[in-house]
Amino acid sequence: MKRKLNYVNYLVLLVASAFFIFPIIAAAEFSLRANGATTHNFSNFQWAIQQDGFKTNLGVSFRLAILTAVAVLVLMVPTIVYLHLGGARWKRLIEFICLVPLVVPVISFALGVATAFPVFLQSTVYELSFLYVIISMPYTYRALDVGLSSIPLLTLVEASRASGASMRQTLLFVIVPTIRSAVNGAIFLAVALSLGEFTLAVILHWDTFPTWIANISQGHILAAIALSVLSLVGAWLVVLVFAILPKSFRTNKTQEAAA
Amino acid sequence: MTTENRVSVQLKGLRKVYGDAVALENFNLELAPGELVALLGPSGCGKTTALRILAGLDTDHQGQIIINGKDIAGVPANKRNMGMVFQAYSLFPTMTVIENVGYGLRVRKVDREKRRARAQELLELVGLGSMGNRLAHQLSGGQQQRVALARALAIQPNVLLLDEPLSALDAQVRTQLRDEIKRIQVEVGTTTLFVTHDQEEAMAIADRVGVMRHGVLEQCAPPQEVYLNPSNVKVAKFVGAMNLLPAEIVSATELKVFGHTIALRASEAGAPTGKTGMALIRPEQLSLKLTEGRGPATATVATRTFLGPLTRIAVRMIADNSVLYVSMPSSQALQFVEGSTVEIEIHAKSVLLDA
Repeated sequence: MKRKLNYVNYLVLLVASAFFIFPIIAAAEFSLRANGATTHNFSNFQWAIQQDGFKTNLGVSFRLAILTAVAVLVLMVPTIVYLHLGGARWKRLIEFICLVPLVVPVISFALGVATAFPVFLQSTVYELSFLYVIISMPYTYRALDVGLSSIPLLTLVEASRASGASMRQTLLFVIVPTIRSAVNGAIFLAVALSLGEFTLAVILHWDTFPTWIANISQGHILAAIALSVLSLVGAWLVVLVFAILPKSFRTNKTQEAAA
Repeated sequence: MTTENRVSVQLKGLRKVYGDAVALENFNLELAPGELVALLGPSGCGKTTALRILAGLDTDHQGQIIINGKDIAGVPANKRNMGMVFQAYSLFPTMTVIENVGYGLRVRKVDREKRRARAQELLELVGLGSMGNRLAHQLSGGQQQRVALARALAIQPNVLLLDEPLSALDAQVRTQLRDEIKRIQVEVGTTTLFVTHDQEEAMAIADRVGVMRHGVLEQCAPPQEVYLNPSNVKVAKFVGAMNLLPAEIVSATELKVFGHTIALRASEAGAPTGKTGMALIRPEQLSLKLTEGRGPATATVATRTFLGPLTRIAVRMIADNSVLYVSMPSSQALQFVEGSTVEIEIHAKSVLLDA
């Protein structure tokens, strides 16, 4: 019985992975084609990178991604920790609020923003970050909620408080390091979403990397695909940096300790 | 390594309610500087609530918490300078042992070198000097609790709060660590409140034991006194084993059990003559004598339980079939084989009556 179950598990995993991986592999292969698919090289990448606006738009999108990731952490981590520590009666409500972005069409969302957002925010491209925080909430909420459910949060918080730590110190020194992988997951979701979001940027008339790719693709479809692959790799890199940085700090520290 | 911090603690008129349930009622307790007081009681008796109120982890209570003459009831937990060890393993999983111990100093902005030196000093004190670079999950349960103790002491706390720190450990480690906590507590001289449901633990470790029941502190006295001279029937029944023998009050200061006259505990003197109830007598205050006759105090031996130096004998009273326990040195217990008829003798000087 157990064996059969395992077999089914692997099958599901295989099908699901194929579903995700094949388009990425196909895109990568496609982006490397040259001379009518007779050879493979980086010419599409080279062409794309040399186009006007590559650097500026990529820069805008990266800044948006990082701003979004930071905002998500600052907003979501303390909120969900609070829900776990005794704000349980708010949990249903907050969970519901976090799911709303899934059911509200982006177009009506954009309309709401255009009419109700403060003008000083509407005058800068970084207004998109606020919106990306909201759009990514259904996913980031899940990631952090699962992470916090898997640790003895109350005991750790009380031990930290009793040791003399403020709530801010407890969050930074104890909670975030303990749910590191969940935090990384939330960062990845926020970054990937910000680097790939198209509709809101177009409707609100901002130039970002995805809208720029859309422009390029009208003249050179393979270059557009090359750029998409590039932004995917970029998202992975950002997450890798977030994931590795604290770890390398830690190794340095322990090496120091051993010395 | 004695601490400069030698503080007195006074808890005055604490009251705490969870919804409809009263967790703590008119709770008064004083700890002298350097004293170790154990709060003992069954689960749900309010002992942990009292400790958490002192720690500042439970708020919304009535009453005063006075430390060295100052009421700290409004001070948040992280400003109280308390060292706390929890029942659940509570080491920070991403920090090494030495970082855990130094954590309280880190949040107090003590510089790295001093922090490490102090943490190392405490690890030596709890016997884990060479474990500094390990992570919590690489330690046994007993070692984790030692580190937690070192972490609690690193900040030179006003009061050390131990919330059932040994309950999650197995018996052998528990006894060993219990003795070690006592040694360390004496050495650093920190005023300590220890919460436990284990009588033996409380008796072994505490300068004074506070027996709690239903949110009320029934008695707080040195262990010997709680055992030998319980202040009331509830304490007497909860601490140690107790036999209930039918008794009748025959004068203002005396009662009769099995036809023998025994002094009534002074605190109960003045109860009306003729009143009947149950006299509370410990198993070691009874002895047995083989007999042929029949009387109010005769019984048959039901079972013998060998406990090493002592043997506990259960006897069934012939008069009413009730069961009494008698404990005696094992060498004397051999003659009382199962089924033999015995007469019960009482050696208590004075007893409590449960009316």
